[in-house]
Amino acid sequence: MRLYRKEGNTVQILSFPSENAEKGDYLLIEDPKENRALITQVIDVQFASVPGILEELLRDSTNNGESVNGESLDPLEVTSHVTIIQDARLLIGKIRASLENGKLTTTSSWLPSRSQSTIKLLPTQALLSLAKINHSLPVHLGETKEASQLSIDASALDGKLNIVTGKKETGKSHLSKLLALSLVGYGAPVVVLDLNGEYAHLGYASDGRRNEHHSKIHVLTPSENFKVTLAQMKLRVVLNVLVHALNLPGTSAREFRRIWKFLDERAALTLHELGEAIRNWRCNQHVRDALFSRYYALVNSGFFTDNPSEAVSLEDSFAKVRSGGALIVNLRDASLVDRQIVVEYVLGKLVELLTQWKLRAVFLFAEEAHLYLRETYWDDVVTRMRHFGVFTTFVTNQPDTIRENIYRQADNVFLFNFTNEHDLETVSRAARVDAETVKSIARDLPPHHCLLLGSAVKDFPLVVRVKALDVQTMGQTRLFFASKN
Amino acid sequence: MIQQTQYTPTTTKYNFPPTLEDATLPQRLIELSIQTLKNTQNHSSVLYQPYTDAEPSQNETPEEIAPVFLGQTSLNPKPIKLKPNTEPTTIVAVDVSSISLGETDAGTLIAIRGAIVWKNSAHYRYLRIGPFPFHITEENKKQVYRLFRQHSFLQAPNSHPAGSAPSLNHIAARMGALLERWLQTITATTSHHSLLLWDGSLTAGTPDAPTQTMSHLLETARNRQNTVLAFTKLTRLRLNGHRLTDLNSACKPPYLLPIDGYPTATSPHNTIHFLGNIHVAKLSEGNCSFRLDIDQKIPSDQAIEATQRLVGNDLLLEGYPETLRLAHIYSTFTANEVLGIQRFLARTHGLKTIQRPNIRRLLFGPFGKGPEGG
Repeated sequence: MRLYRKEGNTVQILSFPSENAEKGDYLLIEDPKENRALITQVIDVQFASVPGILEELLRDSTNNGESVNGESLDPLEVTSHVTIIQDARLLIGKIRASLENGKLTTTSSWLPSRSQSTIKLLPTQALLSLAKINHSLPVHLGETKEASQLSIDASALDGKLNIVTGKKETGKSHLSKLLALSLVGYGAPVVVLDLNGEYAHLGYASDGRRNEHHSKIHVLTPSENFKVTLAQMKLRVVLNVLVHALNLPGTSAREFRRIWKFLDERAALTLHELGEAIRNWRCNQHVRDALFSRYYALVNSGFFTDNPSEAVSLEDSFAKVRSGGALIVNLRDASLVDRQIVVEYVLGKLVELLTQWKLRAVFLFAEEAHLYLRETYWDDVVTRMRHFGVFTTFVTNQPDTIRENIYRQADNVFLFNFTNEHDLETVSRAARVDAETVKSIARDLPPHHCLLLGSAVKDFPLVVRVKALDVQTMGQTRLFFASKN
Repeated sequence: MIQQTQYTPTTTKYNFPPTLEDATLPQRLIELSIQTLKNTQNHSSVLYQPYTDAEPSQNETPEEIAPVFLGQTSLNPKPIKLKPNTEPTTIVAVDVSSISLGETDAGTLIAIRGAIVWKNSAHYRYLRIGPFPFHITEENKKQVYRLFRQHSFLQAPNSHPAGSAPSLNHIAARMGALLERWLQTITATTSHHSLLLWDGSLTAGTPDAPTQTMSHLLETARNRQNTVLAFTKLTRLRLNGHRLTDLNSACKPPYLLPIDGYPTATSPHNTIHFLGNIHVAKLSEGNCSFRLDIDQKIPSDQAIEATQRLVGNDLLLEGYPETLRLAHIYSTFTANEVLGIQRFLARTHGLKTIQRPNIRRLLFGPFGKGPEGG
């Protein structure tokens, strides 16, 4: 391999087919005279622009049909050298760091010698060692192309905003489960907003037996084993539900506030009493109608109960996972409005508990959050709630549903394959890496291969094949023809 | 009585000749190539790349000797209308390319490659011979040249003044011409009842085409009932100042315009001989017409018959035979191949190619014309 060009932090390296470098590989460009080296990652492999190649291909293409065939008498085997030139490659690389006297620096302002530099593949293990990616709390993710094990440190997810994204059936949920279970294993409380009921069986192995996590997995299914009384709710949370989930107008919300306070003072915060109060409240008929329609939405959600024995105390549920466990909020059979009601309640309660230091911190996994998280919550989750100790991991196959500012603030991005240009464009806004790397590498990732970006890998993008997980998968699509095969 | 050439192929299937691997020249070529390249190891292993390396096939066609037609020549040659004859006929085309790869301290590095293409029924088959790189120095050029002459001209070396080895500057073109003669000899002796297409003219008496050799070659072809048709792509042929290939005929292609006259050469020594009858050939619709030399010892009706068979049996692109076009394509060097050969030399003989300073560019800056002059 020979260094050909350097522009900014992009280098072009001439390589021959026998020098097997692929996208994602790291190369060490060593300048022996300078005693320095550049750590470069290959983000694209192109054909070298060789003069005369078109003529040669055209000439060879006449040989493909039946009408023209022949042979070459080339006893000196010069043609093999021509073929090598034909197949010469140009590796497009991004400079990730510089190595000076054995120490890593981020500067890439120096220029290695084109004639004297040597270029060799840098194994991932050597890179991890150089980058000092520590593993005091290893989360084993899988293996690299070189079949070496790759782990990140659980603390790299602590206090961080993470995004797991990729197109359908590439392994996003699988990785999310792996991360969630690893965090649980290190005693962290995890809350999963489970849109498709995929996490409900995390406590079971693939053969149906209980696994070591079973006692730490708590599944809350709204309107089944997860109901609350109105008395458990704060006015602020209820108003959030009514205004944001049920679109209650401002005037009506003011009347509702009065009704709520009226009932609260009388310790009569029940569904029944709320219905009666709305019925008898002296107010404009349109306001009454508006309040009634929202009231019935609350009643029909099945999430609220007047029976205290049916109600679940979220404080108690959080207490169970405080020293390691996952609270799975199963939203699988909930309607859009019901999901929003439940999520408003859970997040409101979470912030309340964190504010009161009843919880130290929580790792929140939100699958396809745009389907239940209201607009104004996005900034809340990544800024305000983060300071309270809610460390969110967004999981989505629609990257454009996550706002650009969230990508910019993401500390770690776990990126699976995308082929759609628009999706790639969206993801490339992540601030932890250049857009070219994202677009070029993510496009060619095979299923179950993930490009790790961000602080977990000290900003050295790495590709890993995510390891298999022995848990019951519930996220698989129900197939019509499966039973007929 | 003149015997009518029989074109009918001996078999209805392919009539391709055997490969040439059993011939002695390739073996000698290999040995010579290796031997000359070894010389480079005795000198500094630097190959200076010529500026013209991006122009492959620069020496592929020796400069045409343009005849001047004497007074009897008429300005209105009568076109001969051709009727395509589709009776199956084997067509054999030969072409050769040579290229200068660069210079060393002691000499010059060149490469040559030849191609033979056979057309039979709807099928084309080719044989590429080479590339053979050579390191030609003042010391070994006679030896190299002698070998080629022995094989291609079937006569003793130095039987003609042109037999002396050329200067190093022209060695690539000369050796290319020698390989071409050898391939023409091979095809002439191994083909029967075939049309032999050559690139160039049937002009003899030049260093590349001694008269005796060319006559012998044509005779060999004739003895095997072959007809040699030599096409010149770019001709300086003029009749009373008019470029002949620009003469338009009212006749619809395909047709031949025989140049009815006695051509003579412009050479002061008058050593040039025209062994073919010169025609302007427009074999298909299009803009192009070509100079076509047909062995003059073949009766004119046989020459016309041969051309009609060519029109009836081969594809014609702008009036140029596809078989000859393929021969050119398969022999010519692309820029990539030049790089490949230079890599071969670097790997096997440690020759490092470097670019000489461009004197024109140094002296004249942007006004320095030439390959890099811009």
